[in-house]
Amino acid sequence: MEALHNLGIDGKLLLAQVINFLILLFVLRRFAYRPILAFLESRTARIEQGIKDADLAREKLLEIEKKEQATLVSAQKEARDIITRAEEAAKKRSEAHEKSASEKAKKFLEDARAEIEEEKRKSLSEIQNEVASLIALSTEKVLREKADSEKGPATRFLD
Amino acid sequence: MDISIAAEKLFSLFGFPVTNAFFWTIAVSLTLSLIALFSRSKFQDIPRGFQNIVEAVFESLLALVDSVMKDRVQTARFFPLIATLFLFVLFSNWLGLLPGMGTIGMKADHGGEATLIPFLRSGSADLNTTIALSLIVVFTIQAAGIIALGLRGYAKKFFISPFHKPYVIGTFVGLLELLGEATKILSFSFRLFGNIFAGEVLLTVMLHLVPYVLPLPFLLFEIFVGFIQAFVFAMLTLVFLKMAMLPHEEHAS
Repeated sequence: MEALHNLGIDGKLLLAQVINFLILLFVLRRFAYRPILAFLESRTARIEQGIKDADLAREKLLEIEKKEQATLVSAQKEARDIITRAEEAAKKRSEAHEKSASEKAKKFLEDARAEIEEEKRKSLSEIQNEVASLIALSTEKVLREKADSEKGPATRFLD
Repeated sequence: MDISIAAEKLFSLFGFPVTNAFFWTIAVSLTLSLIALFSRSKFQDIPRGFQNIVEAVFESLLALVDSVMKDRVQTARFFPLIATLFLFVLFSNWLGLLPGMGTIGMKADHGGEATLIPFLRSGSADLNTTIALSLIVVFTIQAAGIIALGLRGYAKKFFISPFHKPYVIGTFVGLLELLGEATKILSFSFRLFGNIFAGEVLLTVMLHLVPYVLPLPFLLFEIFVGFIQAFVFAMLTLVFLKMAMLPHEEHAS
């Protein structure tokens, strides 16, 4: 006991120190460690979330850009395809048009020619008929006149 | 120059002897509590100024505890004790280095001759404080071991049957370990007390021998020692806690 006293150890002080430290521990735990830990944890979580979000956004942006590029390329290709197809179709159609037109014209011409030929033949035969009838008529007339002038001037001519 | 191993009594309060060391441990407690209350209300998302210091201390202590515990739950459970021990001991140690330590005080009549009772004395330079801390620490270590392993599992660490592999040696080692648990109170308290008290005595002596310049390197050294002792105290508590919670290794036969 004497030794303890010489070292300054005192039961009351010892107990007081124990209580003092326990109170300090409680106060710091209640007012510092818990709230600060919670604060740091929530901030860490938020920063992590933020970085993750930023990464995700960047990735998405890249993806969208790539998609956009791809869409643009495919759209251009499609447009070119459509144009070439349209051109081809137009060309084909105009060719067909031309062909049919020339054919029509030819046919028309042939028809016309055939008709003209027919007409010509018809009129020729008509003329022939007319001429024949005329000749017959005139011959008759002449003959009659001759017959009449057997006793007249007509006989002169027959001499 | 008077050197007293015991803390000197400043005054009595309702029969309670208020010593200089006790007075300053209360001051340290109040300071730490105020810092805690102050820093909590001022915390912002983007750290600035004082908050940076608090956060840096916090994060490094947390990393330290986690590096030993390797378990988030246990870290969260024991962090308050370790951090409080470290901060309390650190502040107490450094407080004893303030100017006026061992020099400013009041005259008292001590056995017929006038002696100086210094106002300033580090809490760590008083055995009452260090023994109080050691008692808390050792009690916590035992409690943690019993909670983690159960009373039977924890007792198995110290009471080893002499009929198994290491035989009597194992039993003997177990009893030594039990003795070691008890002596932790002494080793914890006297290590801290010895280092800080010796530092204060050294500084007082240097100051009386050569008042100018020469004490400076020693002052710097004592700042370092103050930090190291606080660190050692907290670190040993941490390691002993971890060891107490590990089950006893069965020696492979």
